[in-house]
Amino acid sequence: MAICVAIIGKDNSPKYFACSNPDDEINLQYKVLSSLDVIEEKLNTANKVTDFRELFLGTLYSLESHKIYGYVTNTKIKFIIVVDSTNTALRDNEIRSMFRKIHSIYADNICNPFHIPGEPITSKSFHDKATSIMFGTV
Amino acid sequence: MADETVFDFLHSELVNYVIEQSELKNKDAKDEDLSNLEYLGFSTGYRMIERLTKEMPRFKDELDTMKFICTDFWTAIYRKQIDNLRTNHQGVYVLQDNGFRFLNNISNGKQYLELAPRYVTFTCGVVRGGLANLGINSLVTAEVQSMPSCKFHIQVQRS
Amino acid sequence: MSRSSSRIDTKKVNSELVTLTYGALVAQMIKDLDNADDVSKQLERLGYNMGIRIVEDFLSKTGSGRCLDLKDTADKVQMAFKMYLGVQPNVANWSAAGDEFSFILDSNPLTELVELPDDLKNLKYCNIICGVLRGALEMVHLDVQSWIVQDQLKGDSNTEIRLKFIRRLEDSIPAGED
Repeated sequence: MAICVAIIGKDNSPKYFACSNPDDEINLQYKVLSSLDVIEEKLNTANKVTDFRELFLGTLYSLESHKIYGYVTNTKIKFIIVVDSTNTALRDNEIRSMFRKIHSIYADNICNPFHIPGEPITSKSFHDKATSIMFGTV
Repeated sequence: MADETVFDFLHSELVNYVIEQSELKNKDAKDEDLSNLEYLGFSTGYRMIERLTKEMPRFKDELDTMKFICTDFWTAIYRKQIDNLRTNHQGVYVLQDNGFRFLNNISNGKQYLELAPRYVTFTCGVVRGGLANLGINSLVTAEVQSMPSCKFHIQVQRS
Repeated sequence: MSRSSSRIDTKKVNSELVTLTYGALVAQMIKDLDNADDVSKQLERLGYNMGIRIVEDFLSKTGSGRCLDLKDTADKVQMAFKMYLGVQPNVANWSAAGDEFSFILDSNPLTELVELPDDLKNLKYCNIICGVLRGALEMVHLDVQSWIVQDQLKGDSNTEIRLKFIRRLEDSIPAGED
């Protein structure tokens, strides 16, 4: 399981945030926000230097305690997943598949005619699905 | 899967509804106010592109995005590709469809030509909405000189 | 000028296009009319107009003839659901008099990705379907009433649309909207 899932909008403002341990929330929010620069950097070099066009960006950075992964949609929405560094069961492929699932529920949520694009995501059913992806139960 | 004619029927009800509402609100206006129709298209295109680009690799640049609009995106909605794409490489793109879906069943003639905006405005919005979600802000207008051909002009707004 | 890997399923997209366009329209109506009941009515009316056109399309595509009785009508409408909405409902819950029955949909493409906000809980989101039924059947000389009994949007396990036969219209020209 991951310990945090975050969605950041086109304008770099948070749209959704969930973490497994509420006590850790502020700390994790800080980590997520500070990883945004790494995303920008990765996107810039990916565009210019290589022909790297996958939506999954891999590890943004790893600390002793946490590993932070990123994914950016074609619509410039950033998804971030934080995992515990001691959790070796989650490899790139598992993380990639979690991101795809998040992307899928995100796209579904956008299609709700009562959701206004760009607003934070408040849907209960979205939250339920996102947390089960985070806990690895789907 | 649902029959494609449903979308055609729904689209014409959209047009009727928007015109009816704008007449209710502004009885004296000379020109039809189709801005809500454009917005309905915008909202549809914006949401649709999120799903359509889900499995796709990242777009290289603006031109790559436009090519996607002309081919895959257009085919998905209008059953055919854009016939011609031209650009001045400074943010103006002209997409020409020689047999536009919503104009195919309309006779040629001056009186019908005047009604053409009704059939192209929703699509202007769809294109603008799709591009907006892909990070390209633009103005989209349509030009109909002879049915069922239509030119969509996209003017990218650089910030 | 084609992009190498096209993985778009055109038919699926077409059905999503209808769902999204319809959603945008409902949201716009809520802005315009500002009242869930009026929106429901307007949707029914819009469906009525669509029904009139759909029935012609249906008759020309299927070449089906006159309906023998209401059961026959139910079967044909069931087929039309499959054609135009992409899902086949069950026909069930006939009244004792045989003048009333329901279409039961396990899934409804129109409402699939919709979540009703709390302040719109009384909105009949898919009332357009009731309108389509009324319009289409009026064209074949059947005056019917149709309403939503169960709605997945409101947490019901399926969508149930009730149809009640009122009378056979004798005029060859269908009666206008009243």
